[in-house]
Amino acid sequence: MGGLSFLSPLYLLGILAIAVPIALHLFRRRTDVIVEFPAIRLLTQSPVEQQRRKRLRELILLALRVTALVLLAGAFARPYLAGRILAADAAVTVVAVDRSFSLSAPGVFDRARALALQAVGDAPSTHAVALVAFDESADIVVPPTTDRGAVTAAIGALTPGVAGTRYAAALARAAEVLGPRAGQVVVVTDLQQVGWQGAPRGGLAQDVEVRLVRVEAPLQNLAVIAAERRGARVEAAVRNFGLDARTTVATLTVDGAETSRLTVAIPPQSVAPVTFDADTPAAGAAVVAVADEAGVPADDARYLVLDPAAPTRILVVVADPTSFRGGLYVERALGAADEGRAFTVTVLDGRRLSAWTSEQMAREHAVMLLGTRTLERRGRELIGTYLSGGGSALVALGPDIDPATLGDMIGAPTAVAPEPRDLGRGGATLVLEDTRHPVLRPFAMPAAALGDVVFEQYRAVGDAGRRVLARFSGGPAALLEQPRPRGRLLLFASDLDNRWNRFPLSPAFVPFMVEAGRYLTETDRQPQSWTLPSVPAGVPAEPGVHLSSPEGEAAGRRVAVNVNLEESNPAPMSPDEFLAAVPRVPRTAQPDVVTEARKAEDDQRLWQWGLLVMFVALAGEGLVGRRAM
Amino acid sequence: MAGQARYLDPAIVARLGSIDLKAKTIVEGFLTGLHRSPFKGFSVEFAEYRQYLPGDDLATLDWKIYARSDRHVVKKFEEETNVECHILLDVSRSMGYSSHEVTKLQYASFLAGALAYLMNRQRDAVGLLTFDDQIQTLLPASARPGHLKTVLLALERLTLGARTDIAKPLGDLVQAIRKRGLVVLISDLLDDPDRIIEGLKHFRYRGTDVVVFQVLDPHELSFPFDRAARFRDVESNHEVVAVPAAVRDTYRARLDAMVSNFRTVLGQNGIDYTLLDTSQPLEVALLAYLQTRRRAL
Repeated sequence: MGGLSFLSPLYLLGILAIAVPIALHLFRRRTDVIVEFPAIRLLTQSPVEQQRRKRLRELILLALRVTALVLLAGAFARPYLAGRILAADAAVTVVAVDRSFSLSAPGVFDRARALALQAVGDAPSTHAVALVAFDESADIVVPPTTDRGAVTAAIGALTPGVAGTRYAAALARAAEVLGPRAGQVVVVTDLQQVGWQGAPRGGLAQDVEVRLVRVEAPLQNLAVIAAERRGARVEAAVRNFGLDARTTVATLTVDGAETSRLTVAIPPQSVAPVTFDADTPAAGAAVVAVADEAGVPADDARYLVLDPAAPTRILVVVADPTSFRGGLYVERALGAADEGRAFTVTVLDGRRLSAWTSEQMAREHAVMLLGTRTLERRGRELIGTYLSGGGSALVALGPDIDPATLGDMIGAPTAVAPEPRDLGRGGATLVLEDTRHPVLRPFAMPAAALGDVVFEQYRAVGDAGRRVLARFSGGPAALLEQPRPRGRLLLFASDLDNRWNRFPLSPAFVPFMVEAGRYLTETDRQPQSWTLPSVPAGVPAEPGVHLSSPEGEAAGRRVAVNVNLEESNPAPMSPDEFLAAVPRVPRTAQPDVVTEARKAEDDQRLWQWGLLVMFVALAGEGLVGRRAM
Repeated sequence: MAGQARYLDPAIVARLGSIDLKAKTIVEGFLTGLHRSPFKGFSVEFAEYRQYLPGDDLATLDWKIYARSDRHVVKKFEEETNVECHILLDVSRSMGYSSHEVTKLQYASFLAGALAYLMNRQRDAVGLLTFDDQIQTLLPASARPGHLKTVLLALERLTLGARTDIAKPLGDLVQAIRKRGLVVLISDLLDDPDRIIEGLKHFRYRGTDVVVFQVLDPHELSFPFDRAARFRDVESNHEVVAVPAAVRDTYRARLDAMVSNFRTVLGQNGIDYTLLDTSQPLEVALLAYLQTRRRAL
């Protein structure tokens, strides 16, 4: 243990500056303001200032000035309490306690605490002890200390959370705590298999021992793994993770009132669907819950919002909406998504679009441009402003598209051939070039292939500066994405009105259009459900139905937050499997006392207190000095 | 009047040339105003001619009229005089104090010069005595025309002396004055009041009229300082550390008491006392002198 130390002790030389006020103090005693005055005899008997009092006041002033200078120099020297830094060669035992919700079954976390306390007691007496608590993230609850009482108290205050398990996070934090020091890591956990999922985050030095303390947890668990509204019904699914068949009671509660109750039998390692047929209100907060006394409680309930989802608005611009080909297929395909709840589609021709205002246009989440033939100047300006302002669009380069007009709107050379081209006898099919793209991802499986669709005509589109997502068999680009600073722009090289191809009649058309709609509106959609730990700002990170009030929205909207169901599976791994998965790195660095000191100084921030006291001293100096005038 | 009266302002007078010009300017300006005032009777202007009678002083005979008309005529003045006036001027170090353009000594010398000029114009005999703790200059009283110049020259060459001790030179002068007359004391009177009063009483015992002008600087009158300081006596170097805000009221009270004491005690002894502020015009002092002189006749 040590006292006060300094990161930049050279600044302490600044303390020499106190010689200035001291010299001034001594000098001033000889150089008081002297006023020659003849009528001194009239002053002789006057009540002049008491010299003793004045001397005391000057001493106080001197002390305050010296104090301010010393504190200023001290603050620049960046002080810290060295006593809180361990010796460079001190070994550390890091106790990492699993606080994921899989340990929230009755009595389990009590056992975890007891085992953690035992691990502290078993740590070598020469070791400092640190405490790390982890679930999907890991926190340093107690940094390395020789005060084991503090660690014990911190363990007593630990509680299980609602997040999953990530061992990598725990070990990375333990490695951070250990730094270059020797030591050991004691992991107190239920050894869930899912704990090793996720990206690796570094490793422990090879000479750091990892000791496992297993917390016995029940192997049976029921979890509500899905719940959603289907018209007037609420459909749910309950999974039995145990090895025995279970029968339980499932309830639907809407806005705090139980509306339905069902008995569900679930075979071992299986899922049972549950349908609540009661008329479900048009809006509200609902929860589907099952009784599971022995299992983990956090996944026994699943929350959902019954409110209608905020519509995602898509504007379809066509040349002539009165014909059968005026966006009909696109409108129907988008209307099929989520039983018509996913998108609100507006189909307009160019003339009617001219009557729109900029505000109306700005409310649309995406534009699908199928025809420009009837677009007037006003309409072109509206779409051009919309796109330059970050709006997203899909352009189907069918017969109603004029490439020159299109260029006015997207603000760049279109590189689109003005005349259509034939794809040869028998037409061409689509060949996916990027199956990881969100629009095409559902078509990566052979069963959902787009390869059955025959295209007869297309427009040649230049791919310079664009990303080709799909091609027509034979090579021409069929679906392209043009990168933009803001917003998304997809170019489809044929039409979507069943004129140059039979795509709208294909089973792949609806998912294609829905995925395209979702992709274009992705950044504007407002999900009603979130899974921990990913919740937006302003929404509590705990299961339930909460009000979300993002910036810009006048009234809050309800969102459901549920636990990550990966954590519901209690299947454990063996200690050997665990230890084999621990990432290791070679030890290279030596203990860096300077870094430790810098970190301690940064944590303690004593300089701020020094400056604060300095300002108080200066204020006092001003006050006392003024009284001396 | 306004044009002349401004020459009674000590700051303006200080910028004039020689002392005789200053004295003349002050007096002429003062008299110009006086002719239009209730004090017209104090004029020393020429009044009339009258027939010479045996026994008249031949010096008053107008020889020019006698040469033209062969008649013996004497000039008659408004105020015939033969008063012997002594101006006692304090030149101690404290008189060198100033908070503005004019020191107390300068102010006092203007006043002494103006009085000498006025006295000489009235045909009074004028004497000058300067002193600090002893007599520095002594010019016996005389009414001769050339004597005024001597007095004014002495006033022009004043130098500051040492400590004030008014009683001693007063005692010396009492012994020197044999004739009934008028004594004008110009001083800041920053000395032992009792000794000053005692010294002045001796003149009264001898039937001499006394006028006392106490000349003080505005800062001595108001003590307007605001910063704590060490106040040092210019004569004794005695120092007093004082916070002006704390001592100002007491100082002024003591000053008022001192002035009141002079006014009362000197008044009881038939001595005229006038407090002069060096920032104020000299008119007050000249009026006070004329009032006393009338009583002396």
